[in-house]
Amino acid sequence: MKTFEEKWTAWLDGQLSGRELSEFEASLPDRATAEAEKAGARKLGALLKRELGASLLTNEEFFSHQVRERIRENTAPSAEREAKGSAWWTIPRLLWTGTASLAVFLIFTILVMRDKNPAEESQYLTQILNARVDPVVSPNATVSMFEVKQDRVTVLWTEGLQSLPADYAAK
Amino acid sequence: MQTEATLAQPDVSDLDLVTRCQAGDTEAFDELVARYRTRIFGMIYNMVHSEQDAWDLAQDSFLKAWKSIKRFRGRSSFYTWIYRIVMNVTIDWLRKKQVKGGGSEFDDSIQLKEVEPASKTVPKSEALPHQMMERSEIRARIDNAIAQLSPEQRAVVLMKEIEEMQYHEIAEALGCSIGTVMSRLFYARKKLQNLLRDVYENI
Repeated sequence: MKTFEEKWTAWLDGQLSGRELSEFEASLPDRATAEAEKAGARKLGALLKRELGASLLTNEEFFSHQVRERIRENTAPSAEREAKGSAWWTIPRLLWTGTASLAVFLIFTILVMRDKNPAEESQYLTQILNARVDPVVSPNATVSMFEVKQDRVTVLWTEGLQSLPADYAAK
Repeated sequence: MQTEATLAQPDVSDLDLVTRCQAGDTEAFDELVARYRTRIFGMIYNMVHSEQDAWDLAQDSFLKAWKSIKRFRGRSSFYTWIYRIVMNVTIDWLRKKQVKGGGSEFDDSIQLKEVEPASKTVPKSEALPHQMMERSEIRARIDNAIAQLSPEQRAVVLMKEIEEMQYHEIAEALGCSIGTVMSRLFYARKKLQNLLRDVYENI
């Protein structure tokens, strides 16, 4: 015991003895007041015991019954879960299945897209730009572009042009 | 510490019942509930001052005890172990209630209506109306005084004065040191002495 509060409490509850007791009592500045406090604390204890110590639980059997019911309810769901071990379409499982399906779909899509983009494998780039020139001047004109990536050559193929615009003239 | 069922089955110890509970025997747990329900309910009631709340908290405490009974290793008595659960449940509840700012705990009129102390503590056949009223007033004063203590101080003073538990048992139940228990007891008693001096000096 180190603090005054601890020593006081022990003294009050009769837990001090021998040298500890005599030392503590000698350290009290006003022994008479301390003894009065001690007597007061004991009266307080007796009052609390008398007023608060009486039993309050009147329907004890119902209390126990309710505890039993709550334990049963608490135990039942896990037992049911075990019984329904074969039930597949639970929410967590659906969630996992959905996520896994999405992941498979994304992987598959990426692989297919890579296959459909033969830039790495094909000799010619399949990217062809079909663009119409001014539809009023040349209504049937089309422009196509071919690119040989390996040779770094791009061919611009035009068809149906009536005339080249003046600013296209070579200088 | 005399319990309800020790009179009926003195040869079956708490530890035997706990062992059976750990094997899933609900009847053994029922026996433990029967042994401690009154004291635990009374303890909680004295802390929360509401019969309904005390009922619910005692129920929750026993349910928690059942759920965690497999972790009970017998280092302390079952009584101390379950008191620890009770204290955790009750002190948490009191703290949440204070945070929510209900404040009803300190409302004298509500306490007087809810507690009806005389009907619980005085046998009706023996008490005269004026005695009942006097006891009722005293009980209300005590409840008001206890309500002014912190949850931990309430727990300590009630376990010491009502349950007559030892410092080390209280420390175990509250998960704190013996020094803390003694210090809390010091301040709780001082406060109660200041608030109830006229009551206990005039009895």
